Amino acid sequence: MDAVLSNFMKLLKSSGLKLYQDLTKSTEKYIRRTRFKVGLTITLIVFVLALIGPWVVPYPDEGAGYVPPEASLREKKPPSLTFFFGTDTRGRDLFSRVIMGVRSAVIQIITVIMLSLAIGLVAGILAAYFKGVVEVVLNYLIELFISIPAVIIALVLRLALGPGLLTVITSLVVTWWSWYARVTYVYARSVMEMDYVTLARLSGLNPLKIMSRHVMRNVLTPVLVQAVTDMGSVLLEASTINFLGLGLPLNSPEWGVIMYEGLSVLEIAPWVSAFPGIFLLITALGFSLVGDTLREEMDPRLRRRWRLWF
Amino acid sequence: MPLSLNYLVKRFIWIFLVVVGVVIFSYVAIIASPGDPAVKWAGNPRGPNASLAIELARRELGLDKPLHIQVLKFVSDVFTGNIGLSIAYKIPVFEVILRRLVATLELLFVTYLIAIPLGVFLGIESALHRGGKLDTLLQSLGTVLANTPTFWVGAWLFLSLILLGAYPYGRVDPKLATATGFHPITGFYLIDSLIEGNILVFANVLSKIVPPAIAIAIYPVGVLVRLTRALVSDTLLEDYIRASVAWGVRRSVIIWRYTLKAITPGLVQVIGLAFAYSLVDAMAVEYVVFGREGLGSLLVDSLNYSDFRIAIGLVIVVAVFYLLVNTLTDIIQALIDPKVRL
Repeated sequence: MDAVLSNFMKLLKSSGLKLYQDLTKSTEKYIRRTRFKVGLTITLIVFVLALIGPWVVPYPDEGAGYVPPEASLREKKPPSLTFFFGTDTRGRDLFSRVIMGVRSAVIQIITVIMLSLAIGLVAGILAAYFKGVVEVVLNYLIELFISIPAVIIALVLRLALGPGLLTVITSLVVTWWSWYARVTYVYARSVMEMDYVTLARLSGLNPLKIMSRHVMRNVLTPVLVQAVTDMGSVLLEASTINFLGLGLPLNSPEWGVIMYEGLSVLEIAPWVSAFPGIFLLITALGFSLVGDTLREEMDPRLRRRWRLWF
Repeated sequence: MPLSLNYLVKRFIWIFLVVVGVVIFSYVAIIASPGDPAVKWAGNPRGPNASLAIELARRELGLDKPLHIQVLKFVSDVFTGNIGLSIAYKIPVFEVILRRLVATLELLFVTYLIAIPLGVFLGIESALHRGGKLDTLLQSLGTVLANTPTFWVGAWLFLSLILLGAYPYGRVDPKLATATGFHPITGFYLIDSLIEGNILVFANVLSKIVPPAIAIAIYPVGVLVRLTRALVSDTLLEDYIRASVAWGVRRSVIIWRYTLKAITPGLVQVIGLAFAYSLVDAMAVEYVVFGREGLGSLLVDSLNYSDFRIAIGLVIVVAVFYLLVNTLTDIIQALIDPKVRL
């Protein structure tokens, strides 16, 4: 696992990021390593489960939302050896539903982050490169979309488009792109001050090339690290949208939806909302552990050794 | 004066422009989507005269005019505070929303009354024990708390209170409110009951507002524990702190007066951001879990009645809320931090 971390840091270094010597005490280093290992393990397990989920769960049909006729006889059964997590409000195997929820979680996270990153990077770099009107207009748009929370946009889209994955993803992308555009813009503006960019412009290099070769390459690493940190927040936000009934329809294998279904039977069958919640918490935690460690490695100010006076 | 009139004017023009953009965006999102709003407005009519009813509804909503005229009219309607009656409640949309907004704000204020002292205190303790076991524990706790689904914790809190015999449902016990003649004035029930000197209702409202507030406070506490630790650790390295130690200033004075003062601007900035984010948490927790009236209940009602006017109104009000909180944060920062001039 250490090799993974050091390889990752090499990758970051080779992409133009200047890293400082590690000055921290060994215990802090140890803690950071542990956090990274834990985070990476969680993330890897999540991705593997997302890939193989439907083939390892005992009842893939029930996991996807199908209610078999005999299910009504085994509603709200507590966890046992046949049903690891018990059964849900309509008698389906909760374990299958929760494990298949990993896939919806990963799909939501990846689509939202990828789309937002793509739009945000382009917008942020354009705003930093073309000063003047383009900058003002893009900043206006960023401010506009950053100030509406995704849940509210989801409500509008839910009324307009109806329930579904499209509603969740669109509403999240509509707000998250502006965040990446702002982050990119801040980094890109400082890159634009660099002499090599001026030199490239003076030598008449194609603006597209300058943007992709000089600006994009220097901006990409910090923005990507930010994106890894945000994956947990995206998941939490998506689950909130689904929990409120604004996103995926009922019976979908999604943690927010399952938690909502479990809410009404909290007293009789607490496991229905407990297990998806634990999965949600651990997944979000995994992404944020990985992202935080990377960010601290990048920014030595955050991991300065605190040698103090009392 | 660290704050210039020029800045304020510019800022408010900017907010105005952004709100206009938000209004146009939400209107176009509703109009340009599949599914004709006129059909909904007419109440999904069927039968021989259905097309007539839809045509009437279309004229009533102004959908027969060109898009730019519609948008212009809608924008002017919004700024005169008149976007029509809510479909679900049959009273003006902004009136509905403002009443709920007050309820949610009350909850958020209580949340931050809990979150700020707790988060800052734990963060300072963590910074003072840096490298130690307590520090590791508190920082891990902060990371976990910042990633916990609020509504989930809210549900457990609700369940455990029910099992303990308490009943944290709603904003105030309606029987108690009628029995003691409680009438809301400002909409902030805690303040109202104090004004009326109604201690029973005050205690009741407080006992119902604290559990959801604790659930929502989870995120800001997690963020503040980590942020305060970083800020305090930075500040303790400053020369003036070293000088104070050399002068023999008491430790508690150094920490609770000098350091706390130095980290306030950084805290204010993040608290402002977190406050705006907590609005969404509040919406998820207050109605669906704790049955409180608020923006969350409005969200659910708007969904159940397909009330797109409430939806648009919510978009506008929440966007204005975000922008105002951000502006207020900047202004407070300019007032307390001599390095910031606006």
